[in-house]
Amino acid sequence: MTDTQIEILLVEDNEDDVELTRHALQNENLANHIHVARDGEEALDFLFCEGAYSGRSFDRPPKLVLLDLKLPKVDGMQVLKRLKGDSRTRTIPVVILTSSKEERDLVQGYGLGANSYIQKPVDFEQFRNRVKSAGFYWLLINQAPVPAGASRAAAQS
Amino acid sequence: MSAAPSPAAGTFDVGATPQDQARAILNILEDFAEDKGRLEKVQHAIFNILEDFSQERSRLQETQSAMLNLLDDFGAERAKAEAASLDLQESVKRLRAANDAAAASNRELEAFSYSVSHDLRAPLRHISGFSKMLMDEFGTTLPKNAQHYVERIDEGTRRMGQLVDDLLNLARVGRRDLSLQVTGLRTLVDEVIADLEPDIGDRKVEWKVADLPYADCDAALIKQVFQNLLANAVKFTRPRERAMIEIGQEQHEGSSAVYIRDNGVGFSMKYADKLFGVFQRLHRAEDFEGTGIGLASVQRIIQKHGGRIWAEAELDKGATFYFTIGTVELNALKAKSAIAGDKA
Repeated sequence: MTDTQIEILLVEDNEDDVELTRHALQNENLANHIHVARDGEEALDFLFCEGAYSGRSFDRPPKLVLLDLKLPKVDGMQVLKRLKGDSRTRTIPVVILTSSKEERDLVQGYGLGANSYIQKPVDFEQFRNRVKSAGFYWLLINQAPVPAGASRAAAQS
Repeated sequence: MSAAPSPAAGTFDVGATPQDQARAILNILEDFAEDKGRLEKVQHAIFNILEDFSQERSRLQETQSAMLNLLDDFGAERAKAEAASLDLQESVKRLRAANDAAAASNRELEAFSYSVSHDLRAPLRHISGFSKMLMDEFGTTLPKNAQHYVERIDEGTRRMGQLVDDLLNLARVGRRDLSLQVTGLRTLVDEVIADLEPDIGDRKVEWKVADLPYADCDAALIKQVFQNLLANAVKFTRPRERAMIEIGQEQHEGSSAVYIRDNGVGFSMKYADKLFGVFQRLHRAEDFEGTGIGLASVQRIIQKHGGRIWAEAELDKGATFYFTIGTVELNALKAKSAIAGDKA
């Protein structure tokens, strides 16, 4: 899979949640190309084309980041902070997808520039509907700007 | 003698006649007598002054000793004040320690409920998800028994999820600070009734909503109170052909109480003390679903507002729940006219 095809970056450490989320999205043919980062560090490497992902390019950003908050190494809030604090990645839509509906997570998440906040419900039917709606909205309805990296690449050529 | 000394008052002129001399002596004696009188007066005056001085001195001594006493007292007072201040410092220290302990346990509770919120829900979601996927993909090939088991798994997960949510909510109510604003209770009730419509479906429920007071309260929390009490009324009137739910206000011991009355299955008053306890249920799970946390949360909210909640019921004849929200209510009634854009 080349990264031109990546539509969703799913940042999730729990294997079961990865499987359920994939199931919810793929059953609807919403996203055939989901890349999974299993911790915050891997997510940052992917987004900033570093480490194992140094071959990636900024002009091929994912169309959507689904971000869990409780992650090993670097937590979701730190990923969000770096992502939204950098002009190269700021425009990538980030949907926080987490178990918690703690007020402070909501406040901090939006404060750092999250585009949406979805609580994963216990009931799978509801979970599927929420993930499906988010995918549908951000991938099919939302009009995204040309990535900052892409315009720079175009200017250089 | 070449020149006689010039005569002067009080001098003795040797050349004078004996009468003159006698007169002069008398004059001198008279002068002496006058001088003595003056001296006596001066002496008297000096004595007076000395006496005044001595009086002043004894007064000064008195003052001085009084001042010394005062200083002694001051010293004693200061020692007492120092002791008291030590006590105070000790108390402050203890208070601070208690406060730190409370803050630590609060943080612990918060960390606990945060982790409950995150970690306990995840496995439930997985159980629910995979059993649903099992049914979706293989349901038709499963024997009836197996389908039933999967349904029970799903139902168990749903209940557990509800329990976790309700417990988290109860914990949240406890540590939340009230954000007070003047709120029309009638508006809250109308919103809650609208939210309940899907649960009612095609049942016949007759709502009787009277005018309700305005209250200076935490609107989100008081809405939760109505959500719980009205949902209970809807739930426990389920066996009734025609459910009647009445919401109004009454005077109770000088303060105005809001009541919610239904014609549902009620309960026996001998269990009334269990009504607001956590995990206490007065009905069997197969008759009426519930976690036994709702009324505990309701009571906590009402108590946080300085109010009181109680219930009157009779088995099979319905129940009435009453609550006050403390003194805030009275001010709120006056504020009624000040509110615009709110239906009354």
